[in-house]
Amino acid sequence: MFKNYFKIAWRSLKKQPFFTFLNTFGLAIGMAGGLLISLYIYDELSYDKMFADADRIYRIDVDIKFGGDTQKYAVSPAPMADALKNDFSEVELVTRFRTRGSALIRRSNAEANVKEEQTTYVDPTFFEMFGIKLLNGDPKTALTEPNTLILAKTAAEKLFGASNAIGQSLLLNNEETYRVTGVIEDLPQNSFLRDYTIFEAMEGYEDSKIVNWGSNNYQTFIKLIPSANVNDIQEPLRAFLGKYVIPGVQQFMPGITEEQFKAAGNHLIYSTIPLTDIHLHSHLVAEISANNDIQSIYILSFIAIFLIVLASVNFMNLSTAHSLKRAKEVGVRKTLGSNKVDLVRQFLVESGLISFLSLALAFVLALIALPFFNTLANKHISIPFANPVFWMILLGSTIVLGLFSGSYPAFFMSRFMPINALKGGGQKSVGGGKIRNSLVVFQFAISIFLIVSTLVVYQQLKYIQGKDLGFSKDQVLIINDVYTAGAKVASFKEQVKQLGSVKNATLSSFFPTPSSRSNTAFSPEEGATNQENAITMQTWDVDYDYASTMGFKFIAGRDFNKKFGNDSTAIIVNETAVKIMGVSPEEALGKRYTNDLGTENPKYYGIIGVVKDFHFDSLREDIDALSFHLGNEANAMAIKLEAGDFSNTIARIEGIWNTIVPGQPFDYYFMEDSFNDTYQSERRLGNIFIIFTILSLLIACLGLFGLAAFNAEKRVKEIGVRKVLGASVSQISTKLTLDFLKLVGIAILISLPIGWYAMNKWLEDFSYRIDIPWWVFVLAAFLALVISVLTVSYQSIKAAIVNPVKSLRTE
Amino acid sequence: MLLQLNNIFKWVQQGGQRVFLLKDINLEVEEGEFISVMGPSGSGKSTLLNVIGMLDTFDEGTYNFLDESAHTLKEKQRSNLYKQYIGFVFQAYHLIDELTVYENLEMPLLYKKLPSSERKAMVADMLDRFNIVGKKDLFPTQLSGGQQQLVGVARALIGKPKLLLADEPTGNLNSKQGEEIMELFKQLNDEGVTIVQVTHSEKNAQYGKRIVHLLDGRKISD
Repeated sequence: MFKNYFKIAWRSLKKQPFFTFLNTFGLAIGMAGGLLISLYIYDELSYDKMFADADRIYRIDVDIKFGGDTQKYAVSPAPMADALKNDFSEVELVTRFRTRGSALIRRSNAEANVKEEQTTYVDPTFFEMFGIKLLNGDPKTALTEPNTLILAKTAAEKLFGASNAIGQSLLLNNEETYRVTGVIEDLPQNSFLRDYTIFEAMEGYEDSKIVNWGSNNYQTFIKLIPSANVNDIQEPLRAFLGKYVIPGVQQFMPGITEEQFKAAGNHLIYSTIPLTDIHLHSHLVAEISANNDIQSIYILSFIAIFLIVLASVNFMNLSTAHSLKRAKEVGVRKTLGSNKVDLVRQFLVESGLISFLSLALAFVLALIALPFFNTLANKHISIPFANPVFWMILLGSTIVLGLFSGSYPAFFMSRFMPINALKGGGQKSVGGGKIRNSLVVFQFAISIFLIVSTLVVYQQLKYIQGKDLGFSKDQVLIINDVYTAGAKVASFKEQVKQLGSVKNATLSSFFPTPSSRSNTAFSPEEGATNQENAITMQTWDVDYDYASTMGFKFIAGRDFNKKFGNDSTAIIVNETAVKIMGVSPEEALGKRYTNDLGTENPKYYGIIGVVKDFHFDSLREDIDALSFHLGNEANAMAIKLEAGDFSNTIARIEGIWNTIVPGQPFDYYFMEDSFNDTYQSERRLGNIFIIFTILSLLIACLGLFGLAAFNAEKRVKEIGVRKVLGASVSQISTKLTLDFLKLVGIAILISLPIGWYAMNKWLEDFSYRIDIPWWVFVLAAFLALVISVLTVSYQSIKAAIVNPVKSLRTE
Repeated sequence: MLLQLNNIFKWVQQGGQRVFLLKDINLEVEEGEFISVMGPSGSGKSTLLNVIGMLDTFDEGTYNFLDESAHTLKEKQRSNLYKQYIGFVFQAYHLIDELTVYENLEMPLLYKKLPSSERKAMVADMLDRFNIVGKKDLFPTQLSGGQQQLVGVARALIGKPKLLLADEPTGNLNSKQGEEIMELFKQLNDEGVTIVQVTHSEKNAQYGKRIVHLLDGRKISD
């Protein structure tokens, strides 16, 4: 029997190549999209699960409100590790990371440096904590001595080639000498340590041994014993505030108690987060690697489900429409003794067959699209052909999809009454028009919703990029790692400023692009011990040219100036800082603040200027309080260029660099690019929306096209009669087209309010956002109408130009 | 007694009035009969045949098939009756275009869930008997009308039905082809198959042993 089902299914598919193509292609697009997104989501959900005992590993987070500023940090104080180990019998192991960012590295006898993007100090428990095996070296001693480090395999090969790296010595940032004590495999792409290639022994970092509960700099991980419950340590962990932190603070705010601290509206709450939750659920200050957002996973899941449902709906629509052709067969089969169940089974075999054809096509599409998708999503996803579970899930879901898509057409068609089906071609026997129409409405509603979303995402991106940030990010070149020039950096700056195509240059480690920066609490000269007067500000070390290079506007006071000899004790603050102080910009001038109240002779800084607020973080965030003071240490140099031939200017700057410090890498980027990187996730979302909007429109159009073909066929007699009675081709095709536009119209009415609501929700994430302009809705509606007119009119015109003799002959 | 129709009425509502398609039809069919139903267009011939074949319902009266009340049957029981007792022949042949001659003949047997060897033997018999062995791998569209109807009759007979219902079986055929089909019917009837056919043609009606005339849904002679 099944053989017979297959035979007839295969033959009827072959007999209707156009219909089969529409159905298979639509389904394949949905499947390919669903497949890619599923692989992406699977990859995202797999983060950090590869570590042995990952389910027992947690990170200590802290939520601090102090000095008018609330922040959540992924880092905790250095002594936290020992405290955890001593206080909790549940804690089996503690490991701290102290990240250092990028480093220049070379063999002691080599000339040129290599840049490694991510390095960190780490405790020797690292190996045991994460179950990391050494390819070379002894895990017991590898990180126990100062000035030793371990390398990831790629970094080791880059530095030493095939020769053994163990025992070799390396020079870090041109000054620190290290001995290699181990080599490990590169860390997996889906782990929080993916970008880290150099791990230095914490033993050599003196700060890690100082008991200072006031600064948070260490990523602290704990592994619990198997029988422990993480909830049991939350309460005592919170008590660390009174036990360790407050006694620490008392050093510089004598007499402060936990009660006073809390009464002033401040808080400091330690908590834990499971290692495996970090990638999708943690967005704190000082994350060890950039994380993704669970929300984007939800959005993508919805899109995947949308796509597959759309394709499935398409299938139902086309199949029931097509059933006109099958009505006779159903009738005959019934008179030959077939019952409903047999027929349902037969049609399900047919839809199953289409599903598998689509699956094959979907594979081809997915393989073609994979490289683009990987670029778009910034991933290294491959289709796991060798994984049997993957195949099982895939085949299982294909069968389910086939059954689901086939169910409605199967029950629909098996219900045909033979007497109607056998009489005169069965025009009347094919009902279900209402359901088909609502399915079309549903498809278009989703497509229009996606169009609206895409337009809004792009408008918001455009808004962000065009917004006045309070400084000028254009034509600013930043040169990294200028500290390698040592004392010669000043002369480098002067020489660069001499260039005709350079407007200005400034040395600093801080730039108004989002990056992790730390806050410091400042206290005023008067009422210093009153914690309510404290203000938490970022402190940026800059030079005399900073404000002018960045184009800041002063709303009170002045910039640093060499003419005033005492500017080394001066600070400039931003508008927000003044607001938190509770004074006007003019009143703030001359006020003195310190950030080292604990010491015997605190150094006070006097406010000499207030700059207009500018956006130095993502526009998602509000602007924080900020202060500048003059400093000598700078990692980078920002150069404001004249408009013109940038590459020529850059080449000349590189020339100067190479004569001053030969052999050091010349590494630069444009500030604007870095700024754009900040909105990468929005940009990615925008791109994903565009692609899936196009796909969903394509599927909807396939469906509409098929349905229009069916409709034209069904009404062929009516059209013939109308023509005989004198209707023109344009009158008929207009009438046929309008029938469908009504459906699209309904879809517009449904989807626009939903789109408006959903996108307003999305925009709420941004502190600075657009109002959705009205033309977004008009454009979305217009696009949907134009696309559907184009789709339908071909069939309508084709039907309208048929010679009525042909269509009326059938009687 | 094969089947019995008692006081069958069938009507449709048109403009608030009942239009009768069948009016007080009484008909008894014994096994082995060959009945021709005649009448002008719209007289209710096909409707009567559809009612006998349980393809159509009626509004009043009773219908017994093999002493069982037929109008109360469920779909499943009805399809069992089709499988066991009733074969249909249609004016437009209604072969399944996607299946070959062989497969078309095999289909009723598949629904009877007969084993493959038995099906093969029965289909081979039929092909033999109707002299269409050479055509068994062709599709319906590759055959002439007469040949298609031959396959249609063969398909109706392969399940060894007691009753063959034919609605204008020669309506789409030329006179020679029609004659062949009618000769075949006569021969089948001689072998014991009960036949009810609807026809326009006086000549074809004469093949029947009994002729029923209908006019405006009423039986006017038997």
